[in-house]
Amino acid sequence: MTDDSTNPAQRRVVGTPQIRKEGAEKVLGRAKYVDDIEFPGMWHGATVRSTIPRGRILAIHFDESVPWHEFVIVTAADIPGNNHIQMIAADQPCLADGAVNHCDEPILLIAHPDKRLLPQAVASVRIDYEELPAVLSIEESESKREIIWGADTSTPNVFKEFVLQKGNVDEAWSSAACIVEGEYSTGAQEHLYIENNGMIADYSDDGGITVWGSLQCPFYVHKSLMAVFNLPEDKVRVIQTETGGAFGGKEDYPSIIASHAALLALKARRPIKMIYDRMEDLAATTKRHPSRTRHRTAVDKDGKLLAMEIEIATDGGAYSTLSSTVLSRATLHATGPYVCPNIRIRSRAWATNTVPYGAFRGFGAPQTIFAIERHMEHIALAVGMDPVELRRRNFLHDGDTTATQQIMREPVILDQLLDRALAVSDFYAKRERYARENATNPVKCGIGIAAFYHGSGFTGSGERRLNSLAGVDVTLQGKVRVLVSSTEFGQGTNTILAQIAAEALGISYDDVEMAPSDTHLIPNSGPTVASRTSMVVGHLIQRSGRQLIQTLKEAANLSDNYTRHDFFAACELLRARDGEVKSLSRYEAPPNIYWNDDTYTGEAYPAFAWAVYVAEVAVDTITYSAEVIDFHTVQEVGTVLNPTLAAGQIEGGVAQGIGYALYEKVQLKNGHMFNNQMTNYIMPTAQDVPPIHVYFEQIPFAYGAFGAKGIGELPHDGPAPAILNAIQNATGESFSAIPLLPEDIFLRFASYGLDPENITA
Amino acid sequence: MNQFNYLHPASTDQAVSSASSDGSKFIAGGTTLVDLMKLYVENPSTLVDVNDLPLAQVESLPNGGLRVGAMVRNSDLAFHPTVKEKYAVLSEALLSGASPQLRNMATTGGNLLQRTRCPYFRDVTAGPCNKRNPGTGCSAIDGFNRTMAILGTSDHCIATHPSDMDVAMTALEALIFIEGPKGKRSVPINDFYKLPGDTPHIENVLEPGELITHVEIPPAISTKQHYLKLRDRASYEFALASAAVVARVEGGHIHSVRIAMGGVGTRPWRAHEAEAVLTGKPATPAHFQAAAEAALRGAKPHTENAFKVELAKRCVIRALKVATA
Amino acid sequence: MAERPTLRDDQQLLDLEPLSPSDNSVTDDASSIPSNLGRVSRRTFLSGLGATGLMVSAGTFALAEEESGTPPAQENPSISRSTTINGKSYDLTGLDPRVTLLDLLRERIYFTGTKKGCDHGQCGACTVHVNGRRVNSCLTLAIMTAGKEVTTIEGLGQPGNLHPMQAAFVEHDGYQCGYCTSGQIMSAVALLKEPIGTTDEDIKQAMAGNICRCGAYPNILAAVKQVRGNASA
Repeated sequence: MTDDSTNPAQRRVVGTPQIRKEGAEKVLGRAKYVDDIEFPGMWHGATVRSTIPRGRILAIHFDESVPWHEFVIVTAADIPGNNHIQMIAADQPCLADGAVNHCDEPILLIAHPDKRLLPQAVASVRIDYEELPAVLSIEESESKREIIWGADTSTPNVFKEFVLQKGNVDEAWSSAACIVEGEYSTGAQEHLYIENNGMIADYSDDGGITVWGSLQCPFYVHKSLMAVFNLPEDKVRVIQTETGGAFGGKEDYPSIIASHAALLALKARRPIKMIYDRMEDLAATTKRHPSRTRHRTAVDKDGKLLAMEIEIATDGGAYSTLSSTVLSRATLHATGPYVCPNIRIRSRAWATNTVPYGAFRGFGAPQTIFAIERHMEHIALAVGMDPVELRRRNFLHDGDTTATQQIMREPVILDQLLDRALAVSDFYAKRERYARENATNPVKCGIGIAAFYHGSGFTGSGERRLNSLAGVDVTLQGKVRVLVSSTEFGQGTNTILAQIAAEALGISYDDVEMAPSDTHLIPNSGPTVASRTSMVVGHLIQRSGRQLIQTLKEAANLSDNYTRHDFFAACELLRARDGEVKSLSRYEAPPNIYWNDDTYTGEAYPAFAWAVYVAEVAVDTITYSAEVIDFHTVQEVGTVLNPTLAAGQIEGGVAQGIGYALYEKVQLKNGHMFNNQMTNYIMPTAQDVPPIHVYFEQIPFAYGAFGAKGIGELPHDGPAPAILNAIQNATGESFSAIPLLPEDIFLRFASYGLDPENITA
Repeated sequence: MNQFNYLHPASTDQAVSSASSDGSKFIAGGTTLVDLMKLYVENPSTLVDVNDLPLAQVESLPNGGLRVGAMVRNSDLAFHPTVKEKYAVLSEALLSGASPQLRNMATTGGNLLQRTRCPYFRDVTAGPCNKRNPGTGCSAIDGFNRTMAILGTSDHCIATHPSDMDVAMTALEALIFIEGPKGKRSVPINDFYKLPGDTPHIENVLEPGELITHVEIPPAISTKQHYLKLRDRASYEFALASAAVVARVEGGHIHSVRIAMGGVGTRPWRAHEAEAVLTGKPATPAHFQAAAEAALRGAKPHTENAFKVELAKRCVIRALKVATA
Repeated sequence: MAERPTLRDDQQLLDLEPLSPSDNSVTDDASSIPSNLGRVSRRTFLSGLGATGLMVSAGTFALAEEESGTPPAQENPSISRSTTINGKSYDLTGLDPRVTLLDLLRERIYFTGTKKGCDHGQCGACTVHVNGRRVNSCLTLAIMTAGKEVTTIEGLGQPGNLHPMQAAFVEHDGYQCGYCTSGQIMSAVALLKEPIGTTDEDIKQAMAGNICRCGAYPNILAAVKQVRGNASA
């Protein structure tokens, strides 16, 4: 067997629908999630949180009816190191110390052996505040009537600002045949993983801190704990337990809950478990950034884009956390998959007194892709063109430059994707048929598209800075282990990385297992985010495998046509020489990737996934309900490593995108999520999801694992605009804000009245 | 949950006498009660388990009607052949509610006593609630009230009655049989529920210790029946507006009709005015429209639920169309 | 560093004994923070310390501490009642009536395959069978399962001996993160005996009480259809 990385036809493992590594455990109910784990002598922890959005803590009263001597109580004063959870900046306290800046901000922690006592104990802590005026929306923050963040910086209330320019926008307006403006908004969105956030922590003087929990990024948590506890690397250990969904909601938040559990463990000198209940998790943890995007676009008489001026505002909540990187991706996806010679984008992430917003599948791209893909529909109307043709006329092609002046060196096959999407969805025939039938039917059907890309991996110099390390080793038991900090939370990490290792080494999928997600045991291959796992980390595994084979050939007599048996025998020879059998690889940037953080120009991403989605809707103009009745997805994501898992990613992302568009609304009362139950923050059930058709084109990317690019976030970018475009096609009504609820449709249609004589259905 | 004593009587008499003391509640499926006890909204000092009482029969009555024991599970009632054949509106209403798991647990008696989903009622920290704490005020009137009622409200409470089954039973004019410390009685369903008025904490006419034993549904006026539920997602969701319709059509005219609405009233809403307007009239959209207007006359919208007025009308119209088709 | 405990078959980790029931009053206060806390007894607290396994005789498992504990006040004499879970009998005498079936399974018997997603009957992750019917265990009081048969995911299949529905879920990739999976499978198995129609729409409606955020719905449907297609009516 040889490494067949260049010949897909010879692949045995990559590209095949292998069964998930942890699948049997999951269907048997044996997979151990954090709340399934108990330790002897373990106590339970809970959090006392702010009930006001902004103010100062004057006093904390502990109601006398509670036997507080039985509890362990932790405040900011108990923090041994820095009272900060550092993601990018260090502005978010681990525990509020004097000031509070959002409802549900953690103030103190309590622990007790009987967890049933905790909710009542938490409710028995009364806090006196001096309330300060709170800023609760982007517009209020923009007005700067109150400065709630960064008073001592040059951009008060602004976490981050980007200005991205190409060509000369100001000179382009005069030559425009048409100038089209639009404003588009997206609401907050809650991850709603079925497993709530949870952590177990333990402390010992010699071992330091160990945490077990539901998380995406073991080394993010590790880094946070080091700072909060002022401990060296080897005195902090983070172990990921089986994680019941994440979608970005367990990228940064786990650092907070882990620190809390560990603070209690340190003080109580015993293991502490903290599991949020659903209401707390909904209210107190991160959600998708709300956004407002304004477009002004110049087009010529043939519908060619001449200039795009875009203003983006996101709501970051009370602390900066990940807002700058979300804003970055929002900015870099704002112009859509189109060529335009003159572009100016100004984007800002605003501070408000709400629970800090964070990562959620798409990470800024769903917000601005919603805007541009709705805006293209308006441009088409304004110039009198078919919206499909308007897009085609402006698509990026090989050799074109993007907004950041990145030259498209990898093939861009948007035309092909569009053609296929139109064909598989029978687009034109349906559009024509719906137009005919709608005339006499109060249930109006429509069909709409969205074209988009999603940059794979970290933006610009991000991957270089991560400097990921990953690889494989071989155990004494004759198993190859994948050594990564990339975690499994349903998206298939375990399976595809094992497939890559098996393929690269010429062995069987069953020969490969994953090393435990334990920071004491694994190298730091970076966080499990940004659709980087298959492309970036997978490539490190592939290289490590190739490297190991090379070493075995040179040092252990492995022949060119080795068998699986030969491989393991050679490994033992190597072990005899070196004491171990291990091969690690360090990230290397693909060639010609240059990025300028100051001017925001250059290669924003080494590779892009591309897609065209088609949504079909039925809008009942009598009952105001909009329903997605069919959905076609055509995408190019490089090599498809596992067709079953890849399809699962698309189906799952589309389901979430449907929720984003039509069902999921966060209602805030004073910055607190008021509808914090699964009965009043609703997401699609099995009955709400239409058939989702999945098609892949594959153009291998030389610097991704066996040609793979990123896939996880792409499917959440397209559904919302495609759905609202379909609704516009169905009804002639344009809606520019999501979530779009029945009463929003009602308000639009109510004025048209109800003529009973015309009702035929 | 707060602590409670748990009693498991073997007979209806025993159940009634166990439950006469203050703070006692009967528990059947527990889908409302256990949910609200976890939220500290319901805090009974004693739970009387009535699941094993001999009240789980569905029997045809000599007059052609149906007798349904209080312990009959919602799913069993929905799938019962006689119900499907003669009381389709009831089967449809049951199957539109909750989830299959909850329908397996919930009982006829319990569903009749289902409590509102108002978020202020369900959250002891969310502010004043006259239903939960009489005299403290109503937070929904000036707060989040998208799902609240537009019919039967008062200045003290605007909470929506959440049930589907009860709306269908209202259209079918069910009779509720009760056994209590003072003996047995029956109450027509239309007299069973109370409007909030200034006592929203009193939702029905049951006295302490009274147990619903069974329901009798008279023969329906027609098998032309339909339950239409409009809501935010296809299932596992409460109604924004719903309508139960039973219509007897002769020669293209509405001989007689029963209409009840859900999702819009503080109690299951029997639309007498709509029935009066429609009786004897041609079964056409124009008359359905007139009936719907009559049904919603007097509707009082709040800051976020004005859309329900029009939605409820359209729901009635469509339900009438489907039922009479 | 604490290690995960390995329990013998006859051992279980015990929660604390119930709170002392001497005063059952509930506050009617508008601020409504009910407080039983003044009555947390010293014994409760001390008995919580270091509570690990408790030796019991094989056959019937006691779920409440048997020593000295004052059982919660019952106006009727306590009736010995037991429930059957996955074929084994468990004695519920003296169990705090507030314990839900979900918490009994997860915290008293250590059957952690059934999951808590919302604890309020809004997601279906806690679905189990009681007398063969699917229910939400989070809204079921454990004592009310006395005399009944409870089946959980652990009772459905074992390694090497998967229930056909479990095998179908594996074959069709009917899961991603796995957290809703136990509930999905228990629901799917129960629906095989329910009078559900034959269309995809019928099955989706019958499975609508099990929420899946990862979006594995299409594959779950495929798995259910396969088993339904193979099973005799």
